[in-house]
Amino acid sequence: MADQPAAPARAGYLRLAGLTKVFPGEGGPQGAAVAGIDLEVAHGELLAVLGPSGCGKSTTLRMIAGLIEPSAGTVEVGGRDITRLPVHRRDMGVVFQSYALFPHLDVFRNVAFGLEMRKTAKSEVRTRVARALDLVRLGHLGDRRVSQLSGGQQQRVALARALVIEPAVLLLDEPLSNLDAQLRGAMRDEIRRIHDETGITTVFVTHDQREALSMADRVAVMNAGRVEQLGTPEEVYERPSGRFTAEFVGRANLLPGTVTATHGAGGGAGAEVAIPGLGTVRATGDAVTPEGRATVMLRPHRITLRAAGKADAGPRGTVLSAGYSGEVIGYRVRAAHDGPELEVEHPAGAGTAFGPGAEVLIGWDDAAPRLVADDGDPA
Amino acid sequence: MTTAVPTAPAPAAPPAGRLRRHRPVLLLLAPGALALLLTYALPLVWVVRMALNRPLDGGAILQTVTLSTFTDVLASSHYWNVIGQTLQLGVLTTVFTLLLSYPVALFLARTTSRWRSLLFALAVAPLLISSVARTFGWMAILGNQGVVNKTLLAIGVIDDPLRLANNMTGVVIASTEIYMPFAILAMLAGFGRLDPELERAAASLGAGRFAVLRRVVLPLTAPGVLTASLLVFVLSLSGYVTPRLIGGGRVFVLATEIYDEAMNSLNWPVAAVLSVLLLLLFGLVVAVHLWAQRVLEARFTGRGRSTS
Ligand SMILES: Nc1ncnc2c1ncn2[C@@H]1O[C@H](COP(=O)(O)OP(=O)(O)OP(=O)(O)O)[C@@H](O)[C@H]1O
Ligand SMILES: [Mg+2]
Repeated sequence: MADQPAAPARAGYLRLAGLTKVFPGEGGPQGAAVAGIDLEVAHGELLAVLGPSGCGKSTTLRMIAGLIEPSAGTVEVGGRDITRLPVHRRDMGVVFQSYALFPHLDVFRNVAFGLEMRKTAKSEVRTRVARALDLVRLGHLGDRRVSQLSGGQQQRVALARALVIEPAVLLLDEPLSNLDAQLRGAMRDEIRRIHDETGITTVFVTHDQREALSMADRVAVMNAGRVEQLGTPEEVYERPSGRFTAEFVGRANLLPGTVTATHGAGGGAGAEVAIPGLGTVRATGDAVTPEGRATVMLRPHRITLRAAGKADAGPRGTVLSAGYSGEVIGYRVRAAHDGPELEVEHPAGAGTAFGPGAEVLIGWDDAAPRLVADDGDPA
Repeated sequence: MTTAVPTAPAPAAPPAGRLRRHRPVLLLLAPGALALLLTYALPLVWVVRMALNRPLDGGAILQTVTLSTFTDVLASSHYWNVIGQTLQLGVLTTVFTLLLSYPVALFLARTTSRWRSLLFALAVAPLLISSVARTFGWMAILGNQGVVNKTLLAIGVIDDPLRLANNMTGVVIASTEIYMPFAILAMLAGFGRLDPELERAAASLGAGRFAVLRRVVLPLTAPGVLTASLLVFVLSLSGYVTPRLIGGGRVFVLATEIYDEAMNSLNWPVAAVLSVLLLLLFGLVVAVHLWAQRVLEARFTGRGRSTS
C-alpha cells in the first residue's frame, strides 16, 4: 500500500472503488471474500492480479465482468459507473479458466457468437472472425469441433472469442493454468503480443508469480481479499511493501534485526541493521519500527557462497543441504552457529558446488538487502 | 471376469478352449436368457403366428398361414382411425409433457438451493403412486361432476360443464401428468452438458436471457429432451389404463383395441395383427430417435455419420 504507482496522473480507465463481496453465510475469521478493493487500470494497460488460492482474485474479476454482484463499491469504465449494468451489456471480453467454449458450435461459430449477438452483418462477421482466428494462429481450424482441439488450441479459441468483439476490457481468469509448462510459456508471450497488437485494457488473474512478472505492465498482489501492493513487476519484486509480498512474489530470506543507523529519506532512504550471525547489513528502504527494529529481505539468488579459508573475515556459515534442480543449486545455510537459516541459490555449473557440512563465507550483492515492513502475516 | 480357469490360454486359443474359458459367463447368463426366451421371445413368436391366422365367427380361429387378416385390418377405416388416435394421443401427450417437464428439469439441474434434493424427490414422487390410482384421481378432477367443473360452474365462469373427461382432452391431460416424472428423470439424465459457466460466457458475449436460452441452453439440453420424448412417446403409445378409464369408452387407441378384440370379441388374430402393427410403430419411433440422436451427437463431436 505504501508504494502507490509513481505516476497517478494516468487516468484510470477501469476503476474499482471500495469493491467488496461478502458471500451469504460467510464472514468467518477472514471476513469478506473481497474486502474493499481500490484499483485503477489505465487505458491499454495489462494488469496482473496475483495472489494465492482463495484470496478473492476470481471474485474480483467476476464482479468486474458483472457475473457476481458486489456487496459494496463501484466499477467504472471510461468514467461510466457500470456497477448495476447486467453482464450482457457491459462489453467485457472474458476468458474463463475452464474456457467455457460452446460444445455444440464449431470454432468459427464459437468466435462468431459475440458478433452475432451484436447483430453484426454476416460478411463482417466472417472477416472479423477470420482476423481473430489469425491473431491467435488458428486460422486453419475454423470448422473444427471444440472437442477436437487440444487444450492450448481451446485456450486460443476462448481468447479469440473474447477479443473479436473488441471489448472495452479483457478479463482473463488463470487462462494458462490448464496448460503444460512449455505451452504456458508460449501462450504467455502470445497473450502479451496480442495485447500489444490490440491495445485492449486487460486484467489478468494468476497465482503464478512468473506469469505476472513477465507479462504485466503492473501487478496487483492480493491477499485475503485485499490488494497488498500495486506496482510494476520490478517494484513488486525488488521493493515489496510487506512480508506477504516478499514471500509470495519470488522467494525471500526475511531477517529480523536491530537498526543501528538510518540515513537518507524517501526513495534514497536506507539503514544499517545488525542481524545476529550476519553482522551489520546495509539495506535500502525505510521500514523501521519505532522501537528501532527492521526486517531485511535478501533474495536467495543475490547471496553468494565462497569456500571459507581460516583467515577470511566476514559472516560465515555451514551448508545444511544442497539440492540440484537443473538451472540452479539451492542451498540451505546456517549463518554462524546459532544464526538464521538462509536460502541461497547459485547457478548450477558456475563456481564451486558445496556439499552438506561445508564451511562457507556468506556474501551478498550490496544493492540486494531491502527493508520490508513486517506485517506479521507469514505467507 | 473370465479368469476362473487358472491356465487361461494365449489370445489365439482354439474355439473349444475359448468356449471353456467363457463357460462361467455363459452359465451366469443362462437364467436371464431363459427367462427372456420364455416371457418375451416365445410370446412374440406366438403373436406373429396368431396374426397369420384367420378369425371365424363366434371367436373360432382358422389355423392357417395368410396375410388376409393384415389386409382386412389395413383396409378398415375403423382401425386406421384407431391408429390415428393412438398417434394423436402420443404426439399431444409428448408435446405437453415436454413443455411442462422442461422448466422443472431445467430448474432442478441448475439450482444450487439446499432444497434441491427435496424438490427433486417431490418432482418424481408421483411415481410412488400407481398410475391406476392417479387416473382415478384425474377422473375425480376432470369429470362433469369433478372439481374443475364444479368450481367453474359455482363461480359462474361457465354455464355448462366443460367436456374434460371421456374424450381425448381428458386422456391427454391425465397422461401428461402421469408421464411427467419419467420425462423429468430422462431430461435430467441427459442434461450433462449443461454448465452454468457456458451461460455466463454467453452473457459476457452480449447474450440476454432469451438469447442464452435459445442459443446455449436449448441446444445443450437437446439430447435429454430427445431421450425424454422417446420415452414419453413410447409409453403413451402403449398406455392402456388412462385411455381406458378416462376415455370412457370413447377414445380408441391400439392398446384398448387390442384388449377389446382379444377379450371381448375373442378375435385373437385381429388382436395379434394390431399388436404387430404397434410393434412396427415402436420400431419406427426408435429408428427415428436413433437417427436424431446421431445427428445431435455429430453436432457435439463433429464426427459425421461415416466415422462414428
Ligand atoms: N459462490 C461462493 N459462495 C461462497 N463463497 C465463495 C463463493 N465463491 C468463492 N467463495 C469464497 O470466496 C473466497 C475467494 O474465492 P475466489 O474464487 O475469488 O478465489 P481465487 O483467488 O480466485 O482462488 P483460486 O486461485 O483458487 O482460483 C474463497 O474463500 C472462496 O471460498
Ligand atoms: Mg480463481
